[in-house]
Amino acid sequence: MAYAVEVKNIVKKFPSVTAVDDVSFNVDEGEIFGLLGPNGAGKTTLNRMLTCLIKPTSGQANIRGLDVVKYPVRVRRNIGVVSQAMTSDLDLTAWENLDIYGKYFDIPKTRRHETIKYLLETVGLANRAQELVATYSGGMRRRLEIARGLIHKPYILFLDEPTTGLDPQSRRVIWDLLNKIRKETKLTIFITTHYMDEADFLCDRIAIVDYGKIVVLDSPSNLKRSIGGFDIIEMLLSNYTPEVEASLKAMQFVKNITKKDEYTRVYVTDAAKAMPVIIEDIKKMHGSIDYLAIQKQSLEDVFIHYTGKTIREAEAQKTNFILGAGAPRQFPGGRL
Amino acid sequence: MRALAITERDLRRFSRNPIVLIASILMPLVYLVIMGNSFQGELKHLPIVVVDQDNGPYARRMLELLQAIQDGPHTLDMTRSSDQRAAIEGVKNGFYKGALIIPPRFSEDVVKHVNPQVGLFLDNTDSISAAGVSSVVSRSMSYLKSGYVSVRSTLAQSQFRPVELYKKIDYDASLVPGIIVMAIFMGTTFTGAFSLVMDKFLGIHESYLSTPLTKMDIVAGIIISGVLVTTLLSFIVMMGGMFMTGVKLAGGLVSFALLLLTIVLTALGLLSMVFVVLGRADHPRIVGVTIGFLNVIFFFPSGAVYPIESLPGWLKAFARVNPEAYAVHALKSLILKSTGFVAIQGDILFLLVFTAVMLCIATATFKRTM
Repeated sequence: MAYAVEVKNIVKKFPSVTAVDDVSFNVDEGEIFGLLGPNGAGKTTLNRMLTCLIKPTSGQANIRGLDVVKYPVRVRRNIGVVSQAMTSDLDLTAWENLDIYGKYFDIPKTRRHETIKYLLETVGLANRAQELVATYSGGMRRRLEIARGLIHKPYILFLDEPTTGLDPQSRRVIWDLLNKIRKETKLTIFITTHYMDEADFLCDRIAIVDYGKIVVLDSPSNLKRSIGGFDIIEMLLSNYTPEVEASLKAMQFVKNITKKDEYTRVYVTDAAKAMPVIIEDIKKMHGSIDYLAIQKQSLEDVFIHYTGKTIREAEAQKTNFILGAGAPRQFPGGRL
Repeated sequence: MRALAITERDLRRFSRNPIVLIASILMPLVYLVIMGNSFQGELKHLPIVVVDQDNGPYARRMLELLQAIQDGPHTLDMTRSSDQRAAIEGVKNGFYKGALIIPPRFSEDVVKHVNPQVGLFLDNTDSISAAGVSSVVSRSMSYLKSGYVSVRSTLAQSQFRPVELYKKIDYDASLVPGIIVMAIFMGTTFTGAFSLVMDKFLGIHESYLSTPLTKMDIVAGIIISGVLVTTLLSFIVMMGGMFMTGVKLAGGLVSFALLLLTIVLTALGLLSMVFVVLGRADHPRIVGVTIGFLNVIFFFPSGAVYPIESLPGWLKAFARVNPEAYAVHALKSLILKSTGFVAIQGDILFLLVFTAVMLCIATATFKRTM
């Protein structure tokens, strides 16, 4: 059986930059697949090649076995697209937006209207269907656009940064909506995001992308396990000396120690067993603990592990690259 | 038909923004009122000062003729003065458009046939008024020796009797075809390619580019909505313009059908042309600048306000490929001359070919991807 999405050595070059650099991966039917990376990593470019909005420079991408360059019209009938920008028509009502979009796909009137009713119920906009989209909040607009992407009952739904710019409650509503749709329809969902928690919550598998390349690809749990599967004991120590650090590192269950701001992060195999031993050791070395928390490994840690930086740092570097400077610029009003 | 879904979307959007439609109707009508009344065709109430230093019979005859022009067609507003210097100063200071000085011994010179002359000091910074005053004075001079005779009783004297082929048409009425074309052009500024550019600017186009719509669907859908809106508003402008200027459409249903055909073809041609020019633009600012430019180069050499025959050669050559010139000619023929299809068949043929070529280029050059 053909993959839902099959990408082979795809490349997209723009005059000044290679946005996607020799990327290959497959997405199974019914899977929620995430592309995770900072802004400017090449996620949207890859997404646009898969949705026939731009042509690849080289390589190949198939949607349900159909080449996106050779059969764009057939591919478009198989996919639903929710773009990064809000693309619903502000001057039309929700119903009109869906109705006209349905006509683009030649859906007969009766079936179109039934589907619109169902989708508006599903995304919780049935009672606002006849209001102009201009009166909607960002979250409502996004839910409408998800409904619009599903009007022709596609096999794969592509979502590009679906919750960017939304408040936490609206993000959560979108996540729950996507999970619900997936459960009800067995839809394949391809999502790009730069939110770690979003990728972690939604995706069956995640490809971390940076500078146009896939750095690593696996399920969220496997990704976390791949960097050791450690717990993190985060501490604020008032007397953190090189001797204390050396003593901690000598312990068998301590796998790594990093400093983040003023906090010391000790990576251990099992926090419950390690914590009493570490506390005792620090006391012996006359150190004092002002703050202590146990954290589970997150995708942020995975991202740091594989790219050597946090996602925020990666975005800042790209911003500076765009501005044409290697280091943050100094402006009269303060740092950029 | 998928293209009609695009048309429906655009029409719904326009209906939600009635201010744009109303402004597009009002603008050509205001233009008609201002332009039609600014250039009335005949000049009136040009102030001149006359200094009669002769006081002889032919000087009095000259003044009587000028007085007749003042009282009749009101071309002049005459003031008498005895001070030549003050009269000329009055022209310099802008109180008069000209100063006519009838010198001493003028009547004597007329009688003796020794080249009688009057002095006319003109404010030639206003060339139109200066030409008007000069024309009136020279006409009066030519009538000076004709005497008070009835035209009927002097059979030997040649007469100039103009015959107008059509019912007298005021200048503002002659502008009606032009403002219809202007209304059509106004329609192209906020429909058609402008809708596409706004979609691109707002990112909305990504939503329909990811559907099975073809290039032809998108171009046709956008242009059809433009034609519908533009035809509607140009019809409203036409009715308003005809009502305001008192022009009546003769020729019944056939004329009306030909009028509709001309307007639809012109709208189609102009919308397609603007699509060719702006199909790849992605910012409304580009539209603003381009539309202003296109309006000037197509409207003024169209024959709407000034006869094409009087344009310089290079501009006349451009008018031969200017679709607005053919539209204006056809509309003038139908509205002002009440002619039939024969008079406009060349215009219709040109507009058909122009539209077909522009539509093909618009579709071929439209970029279906982002």
